[in-house]
Amino acid sequence: MNPLMRGMTQPRTRRDVFRLAGFSAAGLALAACGVQGQKAAPPKADAVADYWAKQKKNGKVVFANWPEYMPEDKGPLEKFKKDTGIAYEYKEVIQENAEFFGKADPVLRAGQSLGYDIVVMTNGIQLQHMIELGYAVPLDHSKLPNFDANAGQKYKERSYDPGNKYTVPYTSGVTGIAYNTKYVKDEITSIESLFDPKYKGRVGMMADAQEIANFGMIALGIDPEKSTEADWNKAGEKLKAQRDAGIVRKYYDQSYIDAVSKGDVWLTMAWSGDVFQRQLAGEPVKFVVPAEGGTIWTDNMLIPKGAANPVDALMLMDYLYQPAVAAELDEYIQYVTPVPAVQDLLREKAKTAKGEDKKALEDMVDSPLMFPSEADYAKLRNYTQLTTQQEQVFNPIFQSITQA
Amino acid sequence: MRRLTPYLLALPSWMWLAIFLVVPMVAMASVSLQTGNAIDGFAMTFSFSNYTEAIGRYSTQLARSLLYGALATVAMLVIGYPVAYFIAFKAGARKSMYLFLLLLPFFVSFVLRTISWNFLLADNGILFGTLKGWGLLPADFHVLATTVAVVGGLTYNFLPFMILPIYVALERVDPRVVEAAQDLYATRAAAFRRVVLPLSLPGVFAGVLMTFVPATADPINAAILGGTSNTMIGNIIQTAYLTNLDYPTASALSFTLMAVLLVGIFIYARALGTENVLEAAAR
Amino acid sequence: MTGLSAIELADVVKEYHSHGEVVQAVKGVTLGIGEGEFFSLLGPSGCGKTTTMRMIAGFEAPTKGVVKLYGQDVTDVPPNKRDVNMVFQSYALFPHMSVWDNVAFGLKQRKVAQAEIRRRVGEMLEIIGLTGREKRMPRALSGGQQQRVALARALVNQPRALLLDEPLGALDLKLRQAMQIELKRIQREVGITFVYVTHDQSEALTMSDRIAVMNDGVVEQLAGPREIYERPATAFVAGFIGTSNLLAGAATGGEMKVGGGRVLVPGHDGDVTVTVRPEKITIGTDEPAQGLSAVKGTVSEVVYLGTYNSYAVSLADGAEITVFQQNAHDATATAERGDSVWLSWQAQHSYVIGS
Repeated sequence: MNPLMRGMTQPRTRRDVFRLAGFSAAGLALAACGVQGQKAAPPKADAVADYWAKQKKNGKVVFANWPEYMPEDKGPLEKFKKDTGIAYEYKEVIQENAEFFGKADPVLRAGQSLGYDIVVMTNGIQLQHMIELGYAVPLDHSKLPNFDANAGQKYKERSYDPGNKYTVPYTSGVTGIAYNTKYVKDEITSIESLFDPKYKGRVGMMADAQEIANFGMIALGIDPEKSTEADWNKAGEKLKAQRDAGIVRKYYDQSYIDAVSKGDVWLTMAWSGDVFQRQLAGEPVKFVVPAEGGTIWTDNMLIPKGAANPVDALMLMDYLYQPAVAAELDEYIQYVTPVPAVQDLLREKAKTAKGEDKKALEDMVDSPLMFPSEADYAKLRNYTQLTTQQEQVFNPIFQSITQA
Repeated sequence: MRRLTPYLLALPSWMWLAIFLVVPMVAMASVSLQTGNAIDGFAMTFSFSNYTEAIGRYSTQLARSLLYGALATVAMLVIGYPVAYFIAFKAGARKSMYLFLLLLPFFVSFVLRTISWNFLLADNGILFGTLKGWGLLPADFHVLATTVAVVGGLTYNFLPFMILPIYVALERVDPRVVEAAQDLYATRAAAFRRVVLPLSLPGVFAGVLMTFVPATADPINAAILGGTSNTMIGNIIQTAYLTNLDYPTASALSFTLMAVLLVGIFIYARALGTENVLEAAAR
Repeated sequence: MTGLSAIELADVVKEYHSHGEVVQAVKGVTLGIGEGEFFSLLGPSGCGKTTTMRMIAGFEAPTKGVVKLYGQDVTDVPPNKRDVNMVFQSYALFPHMSVWDNVAFGLKQRKVAQAEIRRRVGEMLEIIGLTGREKRMPRALSGGQQQRVALARALVNQPRALLLDEPLGALDLKLRQAMQIELKRIQREVGITFVYVTHDQSEALTMSDRIAVMNDGVVEQLAGPREIYERPATAFVAGFIGTSNLLAGAATGGEMKVGGGRVLVPGHDGDVTVTVRPEKITIGTDEPAQGLSAVKGTVSEVVYLGTYNSYAVSLADGAEITVFQQNAHDATATAERGDSVWLSWQAQHSYVIGS
């Protein structure tokens, strides 16, 4: 089967906002007499060196990742095993950030090991908690030569982990607007279309507080990453007005993609990969990054505290930054790779490929959603970076809109 | 020693209750009075304002949940009683088949069942799309993302829990008692009202409890089928717990919901005359 | 029959469909029950007696035939509009109602005035001896008390006929005997028709004015207790009611040779079957006089039963005869097991049931 087709016919469940499974587990984790705070002090440079000095290569690594994030033949991992002699275990156990954090928190809090050497989490509140609570092992950059050489500059300067102290990106994606061309005859270019009374009752917005806040702020010309409490309030007012005017049909989780494909909503906030899949399935949906901007998010690899094989884990992380390996991975995943050299490699490959494969590879290479241009990147904003105190202000502003 | 034996035999049950009911409840009660955040930790401050703040902020969703729960329960009673009656008295040899059909949806997960309504009730889906195609419905007509969809989803999902206890109660009604009423000049309607209905009340009581409580607390139907103003208290608690890591608010809301439901049940039991109901049930 | 016909059944048939087959539970029953009569439907289980009663009450519609109450065709009238009341097997009291509410149920349904209800229910509870227990729930009563509530619940309506479906079946022997007398007394006092379904022949014989013995959906014999007992119309009736000896053979000149003896059957010739009740037979060692039926046999079993002995006597042709002999102080002889004996009885006690 064509890897492109396979990757795109699977629903992208990992952003599912149903937080069910983790619910009861989190409940039992709560001690009766208060939960101890664990806020970690920033690690001292020599402490990091000390930690890594004590670790040695063990010849095995356990990698916990999301579904549909690794080719079925495990090509990149097999190559890693051949080149380094390190055996791997690959587990698709992460479905959702909040749920995963809910399960991991009590284990890590108790000082036990998760049993994984690498986990992948999206930038956002839970990842931030992982870092703040000291659950992520600081990385030894002397052991990340491929990352330093091959990662795009943008992926080295991310506000949620400046200098990649704890994480390196696995892959990125874009939040923009999807619309159903059967019902929307005009070309959608502006974020203002989401606020247009013409589409009353036919607009989908995302339930996630950060996602919807981002779009509220972008619509007001505010860069979410640099936003202040006053900006949040302004965005909240704009989103509330949109809601009160009856423009929004529903605040969606992952199910928005079905709604827009079926025509229950005509245009909606959307994640790029989902729309790719539906297009290939022949459905009349189009994805656009609004002229005012969209957001980019990143799934990141990190080594959880208590990992048994941190050296092997670091080696694997770095290995995935070899352009050839990154290309093989991205051809399957089809999101935005942090390794810019991949685009040229795939272009070379397309030249020698034939038939459907050739067409699919050409589509990928040309897609601004897989390889955003500088102009595209210029339109892509990063998530708001929140402290815990800010979060307690931020969340209620937007949740009072999505959960009225 | 012998006098202690019954207590020792009951010990596993008590431990079960202690571990799975009392301990979590005490833990939750304790958390509901703490302040702090997930990063810096929570400390016990006997902060009863957690309750007043949470109730103040979410009274709309709380009241809405009770309303939806009540509407769904009434709908389930109206649909479920005749179904239970039919299976108990009219189904004959097909009784077990009907009971099996009733339980069949449970082989599919709750969430999936609810999501399937999203497809069935899509604005231009097989049902409404067809009707709109025939010009029987205006193009704008929709059920998804409305109160009707949420209450309908709750009704659908919990209906078997209404039907089964009523069925069990009706099944226990001796048909000769019904004949006796008819023999004593009661019309079919009067025999139902004076004999069958009162004898099935324990089942109705159980059915209402088993549906009203989970329907009121349910977060799934509102999330999947609701629109912009159908959020229920279950959704709020879930977000407080998992997204905001605001354990005190989540616990305080859970306790508030539990207290409101308990008071409701108590009033309901008094209104129905539990003594009579229990007496009939103990027969 | 006394007075006019309170209940009439004319060629009533009841068919059921069961697994695609038609089963006839009642195969054409015709009978009339007089006003004020104590009438029993007697037979083994499955004979159709309960179905017949349920058709009188209106719970079953006849497949064919007509049911009349006091001359009025009620075949299609529902039970709540028939002026008869039923006492159910195991009573079927309303478990959620007190004794008082159970008894008052019919009157309330008939919209009788409150004061009247209070008076009549009070009277009824007094008659059945449950005054002071009005507020009890049925399950707090003994079996006998429940039985009386069931009776009161029906009688308080002053129906024109009372239907009783094995009403004493659940009671122990002593209570049952007491209730038999009680029922008979109540029937005499209220003077209404009782239709009584039972499988207990002694109960039927004790209480009934007339008995319809049913078997396999048909009435085998309809007569008074004495006639049923003394002159059973069929072998089934003879066998079902009490103990009976059956003797079959060829008769010539009013005499049938059997077991080395003779059975006098005046006026009969050819193959005949004769019943003789065990208590009509005398057992002795001397050859009986001419003019009596007399057979010879060997005592194979003696059972002491208190007021009488039961002997099983084997005849030469293998037939076995049961004989009851009273334990009077002047009992002529008490035969032992293995004794050779003569059995004798008067000609009028041989009852020919088929020829």
